[in-house]
Amino acid sequence: MERKQTLETACRDFEEDLVLYYYGDGSEAERSRVEVHTRTCARCHRFLDDLRRLLPQMAQPESLPQSFWDGYYRETVAKIAAQRERSPWWRNLLTPMRAWAVPVFASAAVAVLVVGLLIGRGGWNAQSGGPRANIPQEILTDASQLEFFNSMDMIESLTALETLDGGKTGPWAGPNG
Amino acid sequence: MSWQPSMDNQNSQELRDEELVALCQQGQGQYFDFLVRKYMEKAFRIAFDFTRDKEEAKDLSQEAFLRAFSRIKQFDGRSTFYTWFYRLVVNLCLDYARRKGRVRWQSLDAIVEENPERAELADSSSAPEQQAMAGEAKRRAHSTLKSMPDKQRTAFLLRNHQGLPIADIAKVMKTTEATVRVYLHRAVAALRQSLLEFV
Repeated sequence: MERKQTLETACRDFEEDLVLYYYGDGSEAERSRVEVHTRTCARCHRFLDDLRRLLPQMAQPESLPQSFWDGYYRETVAKIAAQRERSPWWRNLLTPMRAWAVPVFASAAVAVLVVGLLIGRGGWNAQSGGPRANIPQEILTDASQLEFFNSMDMIESLTALETLDGGKTGPWAGPNG
Repeated sequence: MSWQPSMDNQNSQELRDEELVALCQQGQGQYFDFLVRKYMEKAFRIAFDFTRDKEEAKDLSQEAFLRAFSRIKQFDGRSTFYTWFYRLVVNLCLDYARRKGRVRWQSLDAIVEENPERAELADSSSAPEQQAMAGEAKRRAHSTLKSMPDKQRTAFLLRNHQGLPIADIAKVMKTTEATVRVYLHRAVAALRQSLLEFV
């Protein structure tokens, strides 16, 4: 009863090994080391005794009647059977080919994607060339003329800028500028 | 439905776990019933150690069987079936503990008290005073266990209550044996401290 007041610890270097020793774990060398030590160390000896008294009580399984286990088993297998019935049909189809299904389906998906892209690109190119071919020649000529007029506008703007600049000559101006 | 496994072949009951698993993987799911029968008590007791609640322990351990069955094709045999299955049970229990936040105490003895006709089936090997002390010590021990970090508690319960070797606990917990030793030591030291008056 006196030991209630203070906790007597085992030697720091041995405490972990004592726990392993109690459970029958650890190497032969570790077990021999503990045995030799506990012969002379009262604290470690008591520590081991405490474990022997306390831990088996905790582990002692409490009994349950056989009827409990029968019911438990019945319920569990019934739940599993219900789950088996609920499993989707396609899972059963895939199951036999699981080992090779992944690479096969992946390759097929890549192939479909590549073919789709090739067809799609071909179609797009054909469409992009199509409308231009249908534009009348006069309109195309007008379009090139429009580009010419745009460039003329830019030249006019440059002239206006030079005027605003007060006749200053730029580095690009010629000897008469 | 009969609770006995439907296969009347005596040899079926002697099949090793990996053989039963292989049969299940080949689509013969009825062989899983043998695994249920073999591991139901252990699964229930692990769950009860974590939850201290009979109904929760039953639900969690049954859920573990359902998960194991639905994932049986994913089991690749790199570990033993039981370490793989124990991992499922432990993870479900830890999730439960996190969800619940606290664990209500219930002794399995209470189940017998509720059903006196079953009392004769309870363990009667200990003397009454020993039983009383053991009851209080267990209550204290489980209070200490409840407050422990999950990993220490798991290592302790699997070693002390389930008798798993440290190597298997390391597999269940996906850690090293050295780490399991540390968890176990810390758990035992904490329990010894809390139970000193019962020594």
